[in-house]
Amino acid sequence: MAKTIIRKFKWFWAWQDEKEEVWLGEMSRKGYHLISVALPGIYTFAVGEPRDYVYRLNYQPYSKKDRDDYFQLFSDAGWEHIGEIGLWQYFRKEAKPGETPEIFTDVESKVAKYKRLLGYLFIFLVPLWTILIIRLSDNPYSWVAGIKIFILIVGLFLIYAFIRIALRIKQLKRL
Amino acid sequence: MSRDDITKYLPLTESTYYIMLSLIEPLHGYGVMQKVEEISRGTVRLGPGTLYGVFTTLEKEGLIVKVKEEDRRKSYTLTQKGKDVLYGQIERLEIMTENGLIVRKRL
Repeated sequence: MAKTIIRKFKWFWAWQDEKEEVWLGEMSRKGYHLISVALPGIYTFAVGEPRDYVYRLNYQPYSKKDRDDYFQLFSDAGWEHIGEIGLWQYFRKEAKPGETPEIFTDVESKVAKYKRLLGYLFIFLVPLWTILIIRLSDNPYSWVAGIKIFILIVGLFLIYAFIRIALRIKQLKRL
Repeated sequence: MSRDDITKYLPLTESTYYIMLSLIEPLHGYGVMQKVEEISRGTVRLGPGTLYGVFTTLEKEGLIVKVKEEDRRKSYTLTQKGKDVLYGQIERLEIMTENGLIVRKRL
């Protein structure tokens, strides 16, 4: 029997991961189950019976030697690994009535996930701003200036992302 | 090892405390999840994201060490430093419990 596949485009920023998790869960309740996340913003679903799946995203760098152990742990705990984009891993588990499965069971580890994200953002910010600082005496009409403006905009956006994630952390700590 | 090396880790979070208790003997991740739910009488449940994060931190700090790898699962156990930290935590909990039991009579 051929499986019907549909693709949807939807954009979620890194600090909107909870929104993304909720949306994927809603899709499953309509009978659309995520099967692949190969490109950012593009979700591939298989059509089937509505199921009460809970989707959870982790942002977790792991080394090659830790890879098997990491995914085996989630598998042992009943979480199906659907796919990855970059350092984001997508998992799902069927919810039993009245229970919501979670991959993070305390606030500290939730906060740690966002801190990992911040750490990586910071690593990108530093070389970007360094490029800008070098050779400030460029001719303002050259194409090099154009690139610098582009880098400046990207840098500003990364700072905005940094702030949004930091706010997420602050929100969690208040609970 | 100085007292400071130990106390800088204290107090441990509930999750970390139970994970360390479970690792008095070599155990792999899922084994720890089951053990903690059992010994905490269901009060502490561990998700795999939480557990993996704590394992990574504990290993980085030298409080646990990998002892074997079987069927794609790594088993860990406490190092001497880990045992010292756990001892310090249990001492703190003893004092907390003593105080708690006294006040509980009046609640």
